[in-house]
Amino acid sequence: MADSADRYDRRAFLARGATTAAAVGLAGVGLPSLLAACGSGSPTTPHASSTPGIGIGAPKRGGTVTIGLNSEIDGFLPSTSHFDNSGLTYANTLFDTLTVVAADGSAKPYLASSVVPNSDMTAWTITLRSGVTFHDGSPLNADVLVANLQALQASALTGQALRGVVDSVAKVPGNDLAVTVTCAEPIVAFPQYLATQVGYVIGMAQLESQSTTKPIGTGPFSLVEWVPNDHLTVTRNPHYWRSGLPYLDGLTYRPISEDQSRENSLRSATIDLMVTRDPNAIRDLRGNADYQLVLNPTVGQGDMDFVILNTSVDPTSDIVVRQALAHAINVDELVKLFGAGIAKPNLSLFPPGSPYRPADNGYPTYDLAKAKQLVAQAAPNHGGTIKIALATITDPRLLNEVQAIASMWGLAGIQTTVSEIEQVTFIDNLVTGQFQAYTDEMFGATDPDLNYVWLSPTTANGAIALNFARNKDDALETALQQGRTMSDQAVRVKAYQEVDKRLAQDLPYLWASLATWCSIGSDVVQNFNNLTLPDGSKALGFSNGILDPTPMWRKD
Amino acid sequence: MLRFTASRLVQLVVICFLISVFAFLLVHLLPGNPARTILGPNYTPANEAVLLKQLGLNKGLVAQYGTWVTNIFHGNLGASFLTKQTVTGALSVAVPIDLELIVVSQVLALLVAIPMALFAALRPNRAFDRVATTSTFAMLSLPTFVAGPLLVLVFAVTLKWVPATGFNRLSQGLGPNLKSVILPSVALAIGSVTVYYRLLRADLIATLQEDFVTMARSKGLSTRYILLRHVMRPSSFSLLAAAGISIGTLFTGAFVVEILFQLPGIGFQLVQAIYANDYLVVQGMALVAAVAFVVVNFGIDFLLTILDPRVRRA
Amino acid sequence: MPDGPSTVTETSSPLATGIAGPVGGRGGVAARLPASGLLSRKGGLGLTFWICASWVVFMILLAALASVLPIKAPNFQDYSAVNVGPTAHHLLGTDDLGRDLLSRVIFGSRVSLIIGFAPILAGLVIGGFAGLLAGYRSGPADTVLNAVSFVLLAFPALLAIMVIEAFWKPVSLLKLTVMFTFVASPLLFRVIRATTLSFASREFVLAARATGAKTSRLLLRELLPNVVPAAVSFALIGVAIAIVLEGSLAFLGLSIGLPTSSLGNIINDGVNSNNLQLNPFIALWPSLYIFLLLTALNLMADRLRSYFDLREVTL
Repeated sequence: MADSADRYDRRAFLARGATTAAAVGLAGVGLPSLLAACGSGSPTTPHASSTPGIGIGAPKRGGTVTIGLNSEIDGFLPSTSHFDNSGLTYANTLFDTLTVVAADGSAKPYLASSVVPNSDMTAWTITLRSGVTFHDGSPLNADVLVANLQALQASALTGQALRGVVDSVAKVPGNDLAVTVTCAEPIVAFPQYLATQVGYVIGMAQLESQSTTKPIGTGPFSLVEWVPNDHLTVTRNPHYWRSGLPYLDGLTYRPISEDQSRENSLRSATIDLMVTRDPNAIRDLRGNADYQLVLNPTVGQGDMDFVILNTSVDPTSDIVVRQALAHAINVDELVKLFGAGIAKPNLSLFPPGSPYRPADNGYPTYDLAKAKQLVAQAAPNHGGTIKIALATITDPRLLNEVQAIASMWGLAGIQTTVSEIEQVTFIDNLVTGQFQAYTDEMFGATDPDLNYVWLSPTTANGAIALNFARNKDDALETALQQGRTMSDQAVRVKAYQEVDKRLAQDLPYLWASLATWCSIGSDVVQNFNNLTLPDGSKALGFSNGILDPTPMWRKD
Repeated sequence: MLRFTASRLVQLVVICFLISVFAFLLVHLLPGNPARTILGPNYTPANEAVLLKQLGLNKGLVAQYGTWVTNIFHGNLGASFLTKQTVTGALSVAVPIDLELIVVSQVLALLVAIPMALFAALRPNRAFDRVATTSTFAMLSLPTFVAGPLLVLVFAVTLKWVPATGFNRLSQGLGPNLKSVILPSVALAIGSVTVYYRLLRADLIATLQEDFVTMARSKGLSTRYILLRHVMRPSSFSLLAAAGISIGTLFTGAFVVEILFQLPGIGFQLVQAIYANDYLVVQGMALVAAVAFVVVNFGIDFLLTILDPRVRRA
Repeated sequence: MPDGPSTVTETSSPLATGIAGPVGGRGGVAARLPASGLLSRKGGLGLTFWICASWVVFMILLAALASVLPIKAPNFQDYSAVNVGPTAHHLLGTDDLGRDLLSRVIFGSRVSLIIGFAPILAGLVIGGFAGLLAGYRSGPADTVLNAVSFVLLAFPALLAIMVIEAFWKPVSLLKLTVMFTFVASPLLFRVIRATTLSFASREFVLAARATGAKTSRLLLRELLPNVVPAAVSFALIGVAIAIVLEGSLAFLGLSIGLPTSSLGNIINDGVNSNNLQLNPFIALWPSLYIFLLLTALNLMADRLRSYFDLREVTL
């Protein structure tokens, strides 16, 4: 779901770890295809008879597992707290979403028993499962759901992203478990939204108290203790509506913001499972039979690493300058230097193999001569020399990366200054448009429409804009609208291919590579990526850094 | 003696007051305001005004200071604007960590520095002394952000003797607790060894040249006896004083180690709060850290007054 | 003399004296600067001293002349020579961006040397001057200065630096030096004040005063020579701490902006375990540099101190 941008606490701390906002979706995992959309097609760990993340043998009940996450969150209230991948992992532990994305990429009912549209997809009826209770014993019913949705609508954080998607909410008369949501226009991907941050249903008591520290959900575990930046302990929910689950007695999450420290913690058995996006960790542990590695799936979109250009300020407002910047970056070299042999260049919004990716989107390839020529052409309009300020958050890998990019731009004749900014200010600058060129990581989603609010020209105005790049392109908006409202898949495919082409032409984003998200567990943790849906089909599973602990069990 | 103690206590209170004012002012000098961070995309000047009123930030500085101090005397140090966690809550997590880090690291440093200094003082400028001096300077050139990763690589990742990150509270057992604290403490101790060694060695050498030592020697007492019984005590004063400053600054100074080992101590939480413009948390943490420094040093000062007869004031 | 808050006793100044070494602080005799030159007493300062001195001078010259030396540009990235070990072409090897390490260390030393020495020297001047005066003339000014210095010391330096940086962007070498001076001055003030106090009541000072010496002469001729050795020894440790503190700030991303690299930056870069395993040289050379610099300075300071050792000087 379009997670709200500004306080993207991927790193609780000074962001020794990159990235800002994330439009998150529960992208899923094709199971044997642990070939990451980013991976080099290399298999993960050489486990003799098992697939990483899929448990061998019968599940064992009992035991606890310690999981290391890459950031800390600021609270457990979906309408006001900023949920990055860690936040969504916590949410999966304590709450349930109305739908969950299946291995084939479709959103299937989970906490809801059905999600049914009307004929033109302008209204959706959500029917809840019966007999589900929250951790405090209160029942899950339509009243609670209505209250939840209205809170999300009213909140500034989620309200913007839901604008148009949730216009009004009403109980279905005579049915204690059904709610109808009316949308401002046909929203084809509505069920997908219910699998994201706005799909979590919290208990009435928490809604009324607006507590960010005492979560009341329907999820597989309930809160025992939360010490911010130290640990989150949870215990099994004995009345969980999925009978038999979860297997574990409890879990402990430890936020460890330093990539290195987290990897060391896993290797020293301080933690049993970790989430990382550091390609170095993947390279280090890939061939090690003691660890199971699960990479991003091939279904849906993965988070992209890119440089975002502010199209509303000089000189990045000049398309010729943006083209020069694009031509000057040797993406292959960049990925070679910093991708640890794991990441691969990807010059599109969509990963290879995605239907929405056109055969040739027209993105500018590396061409230093062309870049120089364009610089010479544009320079007179910008006072003779083109000067760009490139910044990133404080992360050792990213810092080196921007120095390399700056050097490449320098070769083309663009004077680049490089700086590092701490995360809160960084996000603030993105939101208020006080930047020229920043590195960023975003756009992971199970359905392209989930990124609407980040890409659309309609959100590019005002002092606070969720479309950080602030690019205004009517053709882009048309294509986005088509993808949003047309239910014919062929039409949608064409529409999003057009989106990709428009972005490649307008160049608000200089693509680099797909983020190398990975969850790595020691042998002790079994089945951490094997969620089965109530109807028996497989869930998409781990993607873009989001875990679901429901199916895990402990080996010993 | 009593008057002396009383006047010292008055000074302590005055200094704590000054520090509180200083902390308050400094925090309010921070550009930006928490409203932006909290409101996020909902930021409009109107909403900001409402939020600031809610948080009590729209009143004048003096009024805000007054409210803060009054609250402190009621035991309420405020709460984080963002996580809503109380400052006292955060401190109850941070202080045990820092205390343990400080105690263990300084004890380790002293355990190394004192014997080294004793040995070197007995044979100044000879082989051992030279080697010791050089190696302690090597230690000074080994900052915590180098020592930390190296220690982790060897002892946690390769040997798997201790965890790489995290703090195990005492309630989880002394063994796990010490194991989680030993590596960061060693990293912190390294820098202190140099200072303690040099101080003690110099003092010992000086004291050994005093007349009363010569006299003791002439009485036939062994050097070792003299060293331990007569010389250690008067020579330990600069050591104590340095320890005071060292300990005091470590409350916030250990931030590198805290980040590397993911220990949410005062330094760690302070930096985080500063970035988020979380005023009350910054003020509270800074005040506590500074007051701790003052109390520790006053305590040591007092100790010195008792131990060193030359200092006694009428 | 009024009580002032002090971590150090008034009559004996263990903190200062101790660090300095046997400076005749206990029942010793005041120093007299030798009338003859440096080399004519006791056979001079010794070979070790001159080796160390030349090494330090060499390091300083390298840093000062960095831009005209025939070394590669420190920021030039050669992607064909990434993480190369020491070769004829790259004497110290290259880092993970293909930049020459020898050149990076030399250019980095510029920043580190300045950030190491400038704040301490400035702090010695400011804090030292104030300390001398305060120690000699205890009065209300002394109490106030003492209290102020204590408050400044007690206050977390980290917070002060972060706040100052937050509204004094962008961080430059000059600004960082100023901030460090701010942090170093109170400490140096207290050290020198304590040392001065311990000497101020000595007989030789009283004697000088009795013979009608002016305050300035007293300060310069009698007190200063006694205070300097203690201060210098302490300052040396201060230099080491300053260089390392800059590295710690770089760790938080609070140091001088890219692409200027100090040795602290380079070490930070080299010490994340990816580089540590792939190319330990990145962290090794700058660490070695700092170690050699500090050791050389220390040996020099020790030798100078024992040279001027008051025990051996007779009145």
